[in-house]
Amino acid sequence: MLRSTPMKHVRLLVLTEDLPQASLALADMESFHPDTRPPTEVRLAGLPGREYREVFAQANARLEKIGKLIPVPETPEIEQVRVVDFAELQTLNAWLGKVWNETSSYEEDLRRLDDEERLVKEQQAALANFAHLNIDLGMLRSKTRFLDFYVGLVPRENLRQLEGAIGLAGYILHLYMQQDENAHVVIVGPAGTKESQLSAVLDAAGFQNLPIPQELDRNPAELQRDLDAQRASIDAQRKTLLETLARWSDPFSGPLLEARRTLLLAEPLVSLDPSIRSAGYLAHLAGWVPARSVERLDARLRESLNHPFEMSVRNPTSDERPLVPTVPAKSWILSPFAMLVKQYGVPEYGEVDPTPLFAVTFVLMFGSMFGDIGQGAVIALAAWLLRKKLGRFWPFGLMAGLSSMVFGVLFGSIFGEEHLIPALWMNPLSDPLLMLRIALGWGVIFLTLACLLAIYNRLVVRNWSGAVFGHHGIINLTFYLALISGAVNVATAGEGVPGVRVDAADAFGTLPMVLAIGALLALAAHSWRHQQGAVGEKILVVFIETLETLIGYVSNTLSFLRVAAFSLNHVALSIAIITLASMMGAFGHVVPLILGNIFVIVLEGGIVMIQVMRLQYYEGFSRYFSGNGHEFAPLKFRRGSA
Amino acid sequence: MTIIADNAYLNTRVSVMAMQLFEPSGIAALSHLPLATLAERFGLTAILDEQQSTRARSRAVEQSLIQVLLAELLILVRPMNTAERALVLDWGRKYALFNLKTLIRGKLYDLDQKEIQDNLYVLPEHMRLSEEVSTELFRAENVLELLRQLEAGTHRTLARQAREVYEQQREPFALEAAIDQRYYAGLLRQVMAFSDANLDPLKRLMGAELDRINLMWLLRFRFSYQLSASETFYHLVPSMRLLTRERLLHLVNVETFEGVVATLPAPLDRLLAGSKNIVDVQKRIGAYAAQEAHWVLHRTQSGVARALAYLMLRERDLLLLFALAQGQILNLPSAAIEIAVELSEPGCPWAGSRAA
Repeated sequence: MLRSTPMKHVRLLVLTEDLPQASLALADMESFHPDTRPPTEVRLAGLPGREYREVFAQANARLEKIGKLIPVPETPEIEQVRVVDFAELQTLNAWLGKVWNETSSYEEDLRRLDDEERLVKEQQAALANFAHLNIDLGMLRSKTRFLDFYVGLVPRENLRQLEGAIGLAGYILHLYMQQDENAHVVIVGPAGTKESQLSAVLDAAGFQNLPIPQELDRNPAELQRDLDAQRASIDAQRKTLLETLARWSDPFSGPLLEARRTLLLAEPLVSLDPSIRSAGYLAHLAGWVPARSVERLDARLRESLNHPFEMSVRNPTSDERPLVPTVPAKSWILSPFAMLVKQYGVPEYGEVDPTPLFAVTFVLMFGSMFGDIGQGAVIALAAWLLRKKLGRFWPFGLMAGLSSMVFGVLFGSIFGEEHLIPALWMNPLSDPLLMLRIALGWGVIFLTLACLLAIYNRLVVRNWSGAVFGHHGIINLTFYLALISGAVNVATAGEGVPGVRVDAADAFGTLPMVLAIGALLALAAHSWRHQQGAVGEKILVVFIETLETLIGYVSNTLSFLRVAAFSLNHVALSIAIITLASMMGAFGHVVPLILGNIFVIVLEGGIVMIQVMRLQYYEGFSRYFSGNGHEFAPLKFRRGSA
Repeated sequence: MTIIADNAYLNTRVSVMAMQLFEPSGIAALSHLPLATLAERFGLTAILDEQQSTRARSRAVEQSLIQVLLAELLILVRPMNTAERALVLDWGRKYALFNLKTLIRGKLYDLDQKEIQDNLYVLPEHMRLSEEVSTELFRAENVLELLRQLEAGTHRTLARQAREVYEQQREPFALEAAIDQRYYAGLLRQVMAFSDANLDPLKRLMGAELDRINLMWLLRFRFSYQLSASETFYHLVPSMRLLTRERLLHLVNVETFEGVVATLPAPLDRLLAGSKNIVDVQKRIGAYAAQEAHWVLHRTQSGVARALAYLMLRERDLLLLFALAQGQILNLPSAAIEIAVELSEPGCPWAGSRAA
């Protein structure tokens, strides 16, 4: 379960004319991850699919654009898998171009109506503003003998520059209103020669003329009614246009759906394009296939291709390991944990997949730090009720809640109340030291496990030196276990013999001492051999590295004290809430109890989750998990159904 | 912490990188190197690929020099804080705007997609127009569709006015001028948002750059494109140093090239006195801006200002290098190449007639 799915490298040599058929077969199998490296044979240098890809991209873009006005299903059923040849793709592309040309005129009309509507709205706003002025607005509508008037909108950011520019032509600008990103302005200046200059500046500044309606001396309510009528007319025009569009596009629905299907069938060849090389009639393509699927793939190709082909299969070489994709775990229960692991990285091929281990340790740590039957039940219930919204993530909440409930039974806690049911094991606060010891013990087990996985990962890729001397390798683990063993000896020395003081150096034990010092010396020697520079610099670096190893393991182990600290903290918070509730009397008891529990679930639950993630990422993953891999992404139809 | 302690790493980086800036004598030496040596020294192997067309080779050289500049930019922004990084990245985004303008022109003149693609710069991820925007723009089938795509994005207002102008005039000048204006106005806003010890050096650096840009645009728009004073002023971005809003309002009203040069504020009046044409002015104001950038690089402690100054100078050097390489690819006479890299005065008759 922890090992990667074994993969094979598959190389196919097919006739170029069989390429489309091969791509369909490969997509249908959903087990071929293309390898884009060029083949070693220099003669296989041609790129046969480039033109096909270009035409496909254009056709696809056209269909997407058309789809914005005429609904076309994204992923229709593919009833029959068939080859889409270049000529068919070209014909389809040309037809889509024609349809888009006509569709785009409708889009342009809709946009024009939007612009008109926006202008009417601005006009309404402007007139509402003019209503407060005591001037003859009719004057603004037309030129006078000596003066030109322009009333309109200009983008706010252009305002200051425009004011300076028109000032040069002898005009003045008056700002009377600002709305959204536009400024409403009146521009006044001398009529005559400078008018053409002004018009160029106004164009450059994006000035939009705001027509002043006739008969401004009418009742403002009447004017508003006129403008409302204009808006209603625009709405009606839009409705009519959409109906016309719907009528016009009706005969296209079927052909457009078929076009989508054709493009879906052409897509595998386009996706394969970067990994296809050819020489004349011969085409080469390569990829990674799960070992269990190789035989089926071979059979499928034999069944599908019209001409002979050559398929060679081999194991990945050690150099190729970083290129081999990793097949993700497909268990519904593990999938939310896999998503969290993916935040850190995808396991490299051959590397242990940490998801199962992550899932178990996460659930255990979360439960022990947040043990409460009632609060756990709330989390589990919430995950269940919100399962549709949470998608694949809901089992995560369910398991965290259930774990919290199990530990709640062990600790005897229900909604923070510690005395309602007897603890199956004990209340954490009844023996905090024991809790801290257990947390430290858990830390030692966790770190040892992480080191063992790190060693295993290196052994798998035959990195012998890394497995022995590398970070968290065998020497590091020996040092750590010796240190822990010595520390246990020191802590337990003199236990049960009151009044006897034992010297820590003596109590540490000879064997642990020898092993710890020997391991540190081995690490120092290894580091010394790999350092370059002056002797003084080497001494400094080796000393610091060795010290860092020592401090690192001690602090990392102590880091697990938080597991106990949070379980104690949880009880302490619960006691605080119960105390507060009991101070409120019989009637007020319930409110602080409910609010306090909500506070604990949301805030403390969130903090505990972050702390567990931190332990997993920094104390676990950083030791044994490179996360440098990439996920298996097989060639497939966007909705594979044949 | 002081600005020195804050910027220790960045300043060290900038100082190390600044060692590769060209000395004037170095440019003269480079201009005499054969193409193969230039290619070897600066890793411009594309120059030597005889199978490629002259245009393709030239393009490949330009592309690799831009990659060098932007790679250094990305190294320099790593230790910067958010505001500093935004400023320097936005300065480098001009190459993304070049791509945007190429797309607009390509669609406007109905060029083949491959030809447009060949003329786009390949940019690092942080410097590109967003993937979605550039793909959609590239796939647009006519100018109106392109402008519609633009209207849906951050260039909304620009595109709307451009569409109106395009419908009347069918040429991209207004849109391109607006893109440039907004680019520099945006940089200016970012600089003025600094309030610490970085502000003064940045004002000096960006002020000199804006003075250079404003003067060149003013002369071109007024005397080459024959735009009115109002329209010329509208397209400028007033600087916070020499060519301020009031000075520009005054300068655009001057009717002759010589008059503008004579009306410039000190020290530009002294530096540009006797300039015969726009090429001459370009050379002198370019030298002035470079001198200011050198001052910021060597005399200030602001990491972001020094980094930006270095990048501006480095860009200038790389452009000179490109001019040298292109001159040799095109087999131009060495005298013409020397004029291009500003080693000698433009003496040929056509140079003077453009500003007349």
